Amino acid sequence: MSVWNKLKSGCAAISPNCREAVRAQSEALDHPLPLARRLGLRLHLLICKWCRRYGGQIRYLREAAHNHQDQLTESAPEKLSGEARERIKQQLRNGK
Amino acid sequence: MQEDNPMTPEDSTLAGAHSDPERWVDEHGDYLFKFALARLRDPLKAEDAVQETFLAALKGRTFAGRSAEKSWLVGILKNKIYDYFRKAGRETSFTDLQFYDDEESDRFVADGAGKGGWIHESGPQEWLKAGESLDNVLFWKTYRDCAGKLPKNVAAVFNLRELDGLESREICALLNISDSNLWVMLHRARMALRRCLETNWFTKNG
Repeated sequence: MSVWNKLKSGCAAISPNCREAVRAQSEALDHPLPLARRLGLRLHLLICKWCRRYGGQIRYLREAAHNHQDQLTESAPEKLSGEARERIKQQLRNGK
Repeated sequence: MQEDNPMTPEDSTLAGAHSDPERWVDEHGDYLFKFALARLRDPLKAEDAVQETFLAALKGRTFAGRSAEKSWLVGILKNKIYDYFRKAGRETSFTDLQFYDDEESDRFVADGAGKGGWIHESGPQEWLKAGESLDNVLFWKTYRDCAGKLPKNVAAVFNLRELDGLESREICALLNISDSNLWVMLHRARMALRRCLETNWFTKNG
């Protein structure tokens, strides 16, 4: 595995603890991690099932939110009030 | 060659410019309102945004493609919402570093050899049938309730990133916040949302 090779060649990848790893996994969703941090995280995830699970779950939440926006929006109970609806229609009649 | 262009019954009822925009309100008003309310959290602001959307749509109307109408209107609405956020970011600080600032420290080993590791009973649980949940209307109600617990600014950055897919750089520019603060807010939003859904959905229905 390339990770182990890099270790063998003396790359000082310090493995984070779980608190740091969950933070790093979140950041990895928002920007590329620097190499050392990325390698350290990967090492940690090799041996920590809890953090692997955490990462899978925050990625699941991202996909859920991003790919089901219609369902999410539609599921809200609120509606445009009758008064607002009429006001807007009136504005449109005036505005055209 | 003469083009055959008969008006369909549908077209004939839409003939007359005034009925078109009003139909938009009937067909799309609720959806746009729900969308705006989720982002702005204030019914009056949401109504304003929807009104501005329809007015802008009226001016910019260049086609009558029904199927893409909703997406087109949502696109205009999103930009109105972004304008609102941009203005808010200039007037007050959008950064919120108070929310969830302990970052669930009680779930990690505090001291000693395993410092910083998950306390086993508190670690992330298995989420069974996670895929099926996405088709369940009750799941989305739970999701909405959990997302509703995020404070306004944290929810806003989460939505910009995860719903709209804006890049970190774009969000920072829009809201006038630093990237490090953005990433902290996103981390805490994800942590809180994950925990809320685990407690209220995945370990109840798994």
